[in-house]
This record gives sequence, C-alpha cells and structure tokens, in this order.
Amino acid sequence: MTATLVTDPVIDELVGICGPDNVFTDRSSRVNRARVPAPFPVHRWAEHVPDVVVLPTSAEQISEVVKLANRHRIPVVPRAGGTGLTDGAVPLRHGILVDVKLMNKILEIDLDDRTVTVQPGINMLKLNEELRQHGVIYPDDPASYPCSLVGGRIGTSGWSLIGGRYGHTRDLVISFQIVLPTGELIWVGDGGGRKVRKSSTGYQLKHLFMGHQGTLGIVTEAVLELVPRPEAEFAAFFSYPDYETAWRSTGALAKSGLATLAGVVLFDEWKLDYLRRDDEAYIPQPDDVRCVVATAMYGTTDEVRPGAKRLLRIGTQTGGAYLGDEISQGDWASRHDRYATPLHGRLRDGQVVPMSWHCEDASINWSKLPQVRREWHDIVARLGDRFRIFDDWGMFAYTNGAFKPWGDYLTEIDVGIWEQELDDAAWDAWVTAKRDIAAVAIAYGGSISACHGACRAGEVDLVPEELGGGWEVMKKVKRVLDPLNIMNPGKYLLDQAYEGDEP
Amino acid sequence: MSSTEREFVEQWRNAAYNCYSSGHKFCREVCPVTQVTRNEVHTPTAFHANVVAMEKGLLSIEDVARDYVHCTQCGACELRCPNTLFTGDFYRFRTRTVQLVKAVRALAVDSGIHQPGWQRWVEETNRQKSEPVLGDVPVSQEHVRDWAAGLDLPVGGETILFCDCEGAFHRTSVPRAAARILQAAGVEFGLMREQWCCGGPAAEMGYAERAREFARHNVEDWRAVGAKRIIVFDPHDYISFTEDYPSYFGDEYDFEIVLFVELLAELIRTGRLALTRPVERVVTYHDACRLNKRKGIHEAPREVLRAIPGLTFKDVDHVTQWSYCSGAGGGLSIERPDLTAEISRRRVEQAGGLGVDTLVSACVWSERPLTEQGGKLDQPLEVMDLLEIVALSAGLEDTP
Repeated sequence: MTATLVTDPVIDELVGICGPDNVFTDRSSRVNRARVPAPFPVHRWAEHVPDVVVLPTSAEQISEVVKLANRHRIPVVPRAGGTGLTDGAVPLRHGILVDVKLMNKILEIDLDDRTVTVQPGINMLKLNEELRQHGVIYPDDPASYPCSLVGGRIGTSGWSLIGGRYGHTRDLVISFQIVLPTGELIWVGDGGGRKVRKSSTGYQLKHLFMGHQGTLGIVTEAVLELVPRPEAEFAAFFSYPDYETAWRSTGALAKSGLATLAGVVLFDEWKLDYLRRDDEAYIPQPDDVRCVVATAMYGTTDEVRPGAKRLLRIGTQTGGAYLGDEISQGDWASRHDRYATPLHGRLRDGQVVPMSWHCEDASINWSKLPQVRREWHDIVARLGDRFRIFDDWGMFAYTNGAFKPWGDYLTEIDVGIWEQELDDAAWDAWVTAKRDIAAVAIAYGGSISACHGACRAGEVDLVPEELGGGWEVMKKVKRVLDPLNIMNPGKYLLDQAYEGDEP
Repeated sequence: MSSTEREFVEQWRNAAYNCYSSGHKFCREVCPVTQVTRNEVHTPTAFHANVVAMEKGLLSIEDVARDYVHCTQCGACELRCPNTLFTGDFYRFRTRTVQLVKAVRALAVDSGIHQPGWQRWVEETNRQKSEPVLGDVPVSQEHVRDWAAGLDLPVGGETILFCDCEGAFHRTSVPRAAARILQAAGVEFGLMREQWCCGGPAAEMGYAERAREFARHNVEDWRAVGAKRIIVFDPHDYISFTEDYPSYFGDEYDFEIVLFVELLAELIRTGRLALTRPVERVVTYHDACRLNKRKGIHEAPREVLRAIPGLTFKDVDHVTQWSYCSGAGGGLSIERPDLTAEISRRRVEQAGGLGVDTLVSACVWSERPLTEQGGKLDQPLEVMDLLEIVALSAGLEDTP
C-alpha cells in the first residue's frame, strides 16, 4: 500500500471520535512522534513523520479510529513509550499515529488472585509505586524501566533484567485486550479467562500477539502478574583476567539451579573499556581486569541469604574475584541509568564526540558465545575502518530463558554512531553490518533478536531465512487479520503478504 | 531560518544532541507537566529534540513556541537525566533543560511570537514595576511595603530583606513572619527604597531585556543604600540573584545572597532564635523545586522542622520529591492554570496520603495553588510557610 494523504474530512472524523483536544496535526506533534532512541537515519527524519496524531482515551475510540483507517485505507501506527530499540513505533508510511499515553490508569488490583489490570499507557515504575503499598510488585524490569510503557512491552515482547527469576513480559502479561487491524476488540490470553495463567483451550493466541510490533493491532488493556515484593535483593559482581574464564564462569553461575537467581550478565573487554571511559563513576578496577560478570538474586531472606553464599562460592571457584559489596550493590542499583551515555563516544584518535547508541540483540546459545563475539566485533571493526563515525561499545550476554537461566543468552553488541555526521553512505554500510550481524546469529543456530524485535532495516531481510516455513504462516496470519494492510505497513517485510493483490 | 534562529541552533545543537542521542526518556515520569498531559511534545526530551529538528529544517520556532509553555522549570528532568547522573562528574556535563526552555522562550519573543497571558503579564509588570499577581489587591510601588505596616522597619543598610511580589501583595503573613524572626534574633536589616520585581519571571517567560531592566534597577537601589547582603526567602528570587544577576553583571556583582531558610537553621542551631512553644501539628514538607532540585537545598528546611517542639514531622525522601511540584513556577499558572491546579491537586493528594494535617512549604509561590487544592480534600489540608510555623513556635504571632 502506498502512503495515503490524510484529508480534512478524515481529520474531522478523527475529531468526532477522539474529541478536538486529542487530535493533533501540527508539525511539532508529528515530528516528535517519528523517533525512538535507536538511530533511524536522523538525516531522513522527514520520511517518518505521521500525518496526524491522536491520543485516544478508550478502547472504543481506538477501535473506531482503526475502522476509519480501514475505510480510507490509511496506515495506523501505535505508539506507547516510544522507547523501543526497533522501529515498531516509527511510521514508515506516515498515516495516523495512535499514541496511547493518556490511557494510563490502574483499573483493578486483585490481591486474592494476584493480578493487576491496567491500561497500556502506564509505566512499570509508576505502577510499582502504587503496588508497593500492598506488598506486591509487577516484576518487569527492562533497562527502560523508568519510561517504557506496558503497551510497548507487549508490542515488542520486551525482556526483563530480572527475568531469570520472574519471567519476561510474555510470562508476566496474563491476558490483554487488543483492537485487531480491522477494528474488532478481542481478549487474548491462555484460554479465555482473563486471569487464568494456564489453559489448553484453543491455540495460544496470547503469544501470537506478543511482539507484534504494531502490525497486528493495538493493545488497550492488560492483566498483569503480581509477585510478593522481594524481601531480599543480592547482587554480586566478579572480575576476570580473560574472556574465556569469564564465559565459563557465567555458564557455571547460570546453571547453579538457584531458584532466586534473577540474572547473570557477562561484560566483555570492549564493554569494560567503554564503561571505563566514565572514569569517575564506574568501578575503579585494576587494569588486569578484562571482564566482569554481574549476578543478582531476588526472593525471601530465607532463600537469598544461603543462596548468596553458594553464588559467591561458584563465582570465585570458577575464576572470578568478588568485587565487593559496595561495587556490586551500587552498580546493580544504577543498572537502568548506565546503558547509554553518549559522551563515551570516541573517534579513532580519541576525540570525544556525542554518539547515539545502537544495539543488536540476538539470542545465542551459551556454547556459541565466544565464536559469535569474535565475528561480531570483526564486523564492527570493518565498519569503523571505513567510517570514523562508528565506535565499538562492547558486548554483553545475559541470561535469557525465564525460570531456567541457562542455555540461550540475550547477546548484545552496542555500537556508538555519531549521527550528526551520518549520511546515506554511512547509513547503508550500517544497515549492511546489521544484516551481517544477524547472519552470524543464524549461522550459529541463534535467533536474530531476543527481545527488541527484528523488524528494522538490515536484520529484517533475514527474518524469512530464520523462520523458514514459519515465515509463510506469518504472512498468512497477517493477511487474514489485516486484509487491507492497515497496521504499521512496511514493517517486518509483511508487504510480501499482499504481493499480487490489486493495487 | 532567520539569522536569530540560526544563531540559536548553533549555540544549542550539541547540548541538545547530547539528550537526543542518549534517547533516554527517564525525565518523562518525573516531569510534573508530562505526568498530567501525557503529551510527548511537553516532555523535556522533546524540548531538546526540537533543536535537532530545527537544525534539520523540520521545525521552526513558530512550530514549537507554544510547546515550551509546558514547563515549570522545576529542574527534575535535569537531575533524572542519566547524562547528568553518570557522565556529569567526569565531563563536567549537566543537561540544561531549564536554560534551554528559557532560551527558546526568548527566541520566540525575539521572533515576535508571544503567549497572550505572558505578554499581558509582562506589560502590566512594566507599568507597575511589580508583579501583577492579584486581582483586587492594589499592586504598585506605593503599596510595595504595605505588608510591613506596624513593624517599624528601616529602609536601607548593609543588609536588605528582599520581599518577593507574591509575599508583598498576597501572602503578606510570610514576609511579616520573616521580619519578626529577624528582629527576634537580633539581625539588623532594612528594606529597599524602591523595590521592583526581581525580573525572574520575565526572564523565565522569555522577556530577557525586561528582566535585565528590573535587575539593573534593583542593583542600583542596593548600591545606593550601601547594601552588601541581600536576604531572600523566596526560592525564585534566590535563583534570580544567584544565577541571573551574576550573568548580567559579571564580576561587578559582589553581593552576598543569603537564603532565609539557611540563615534560619543557623539562628536556631546557635540559639539566637528560641523555639519554645509547642506546635501540635502533623506535617509533611513540600520540597520547593528551586531549593531542592535546582539548588540541592533540602537539609536546612528539615533541620528547622525537626527543631520545632510538639511537631510530628512525616518526611518524604527528597529524591522521591523530584517528581512533585506545585505547578506554580515558570509562568505555567498564567498560560495553563488548569495544569497548575492539577499538578497541585496531585501534590496535596500525596501529602494527604501520609495522614498529615499540614503541608509546609518554603516557597511562597507554591502556597496559593497548594492551599486552594488542599482545601478541596476530604480531609482538608492546611498549607503553611516554614517561616509562619517557625514564628508560631518562637511566640511571634502576628497581631497587627
């Protein structure tokens, strides 16, 4: 489908649905909703600006907006926090942008069956401020914890830093209401019950809509899991003289079987070098420290205290040196704030320039981490040889499987990009590098993305290869649910589902 | 793009890009305005992104001027910015959203774009040399010292008590408490001969030249009476005198600016002011944005409150209060009184949840909107200034 100009009568209809105060056609409202934190070629920002922005206040309004879009064949792009690292919330074909931030209410707290029902525009931090007084929390803890919203967490099937203990978004969202691409409102979950976690009735529709990147609808309400607020939190950081030792130790820690183990993170040499650029704030470690492994446990005091002893024993017996309570607890506490600091950007000659942070986040088995790491750094090094605006910010690997934190790892390489100097040639080289990075992930039996989504330029080209026959099913599903290709068109190569249709 | 706009973009492009490239939006949930409107164009991060977009030719000052109304200049976003938190120490970097907002508002005014309420407000201010903060109360230079009736205060001297406009014309009990406390503690001080507005609000709304005009007059008045120390109880004045005035006058500006609440803590600590009368109230403290978030002053007011006998003080951590504001600052209450009211309502609701009967503030500007909303609670909440409650405990009830 080609871009459709939103006309005045359409605006009038939108005003009729959402009210005059919640429909915006001014340039500022539109331009500011075209971007997400990841570089999206800032020099081509204008290509992504939506035609009109609406801030609805109910599921019914969203349903009406989507039906209107179908009538006029106008693209619809949903947007929650706009903090995603893929381009889910970035319009590719202009159209109507549905911003759900005004729908941010807590609708019900059920302490008996341990659920909380919310609108999609609420954020984990704000939600937990309310829940804490009841002794419970919603344990979804992305790096963007202070600003990402529940709607976007479902849209990207986001991943949690403490997911090894509590699960990730897909495990923590019990059911949700979604406006389908044709405007119908349905509930999906495990079976039909809104608060039921386990069911074998029918297909597992919840998972179909988890990580849809805005291509299969707009979430309007969700029932979330509550867990007891942890009595105890324990963080232990270990340092290592080389990657090989750190990697083996990571495997041993993750396989410990400790039920309270929430996360194990392995930072490689490049990542440590990057973090050390912030000399005064980061851990002051001796130069011979090449890698760091960070672990965290959550649970009751009775569980965590003895578990922590065992964790420390495993870490040190496998070659790690405990970095001490102050560093471990302090650095873990700052986990949300540290993940992107533009002033750590460096040109080859050492000059400090502000760089944007981009990450590729494959899911890789533990046994393949060393090989993937080598090949990924080589790809970024070749990129840096050609264009000085790229800087290798290192890699980390993180326990991935919920409740069984071994096996596959969220494996991320971070690249600094000096966007102020970005041009078409550098952007094209970057897209190629992303494709190469994705190819390595597939070659080693991994998945292109663990949690951000694989719908951005570059890696998206290899999605059909990774999914194989599943890709054919995905296209059929898209076409059945969205016959006119209204929802977030252009994403995930899903235009292919409509090839051969009448224009 | 006009040459003024180009100059502005040149000046701010790298600072704005530091926010833009980080991509963090952690500021959003501590921003008092965004918490209410949930509109992305009112977020601190959008204020920076706009500069990048202006550089790319996507937006102009006409497109964005109105968005920048939506800021109380509380400074929470600057503190919450990971760039400030994590690279600030090393690179001497702080995200300067408040300065950026002031600069964009000034660019708008320079470009002939005015917000109707602010324009009218500044014109009135110019006519009266004081802030036209009220309806029925007479606001003019003839009445600027009415609040001090019967206190027998001298004019001039080495130490001047600067009484801000909201206090002088509206919440007169606050400057009266201030004056009586100083008298009781034996601090010699006088008033200005002719006190004009500090100019801070005009500067905040983008009327930079008007702000300088006020500043020049006030500094000349200080010099004329030989003033060396200026005592201020209003945090907004404190910002004007410690940030704006030095930028206007450079090294020539050699006045000692004393913040009343810090002086007060010292007077109590050293026994120069005795707090003898129990105040049987259950209170919490509203961290004034310009003290806590802008200046890092949160200990002194707490020290004062803890020194009051009979008082039950239910404190909230000063970092938690980063996300609170009264909504009264930065001219928001003039252009968007509805937002100020809602921000204040949320603030008193938070306070009410602590089971207190009084919300104590140390910012005279916050007190009118907070009082209005506090009275609407199921269990009404009284709003008092820290100076008023201290005067009570020191036996300095005002009986004019």
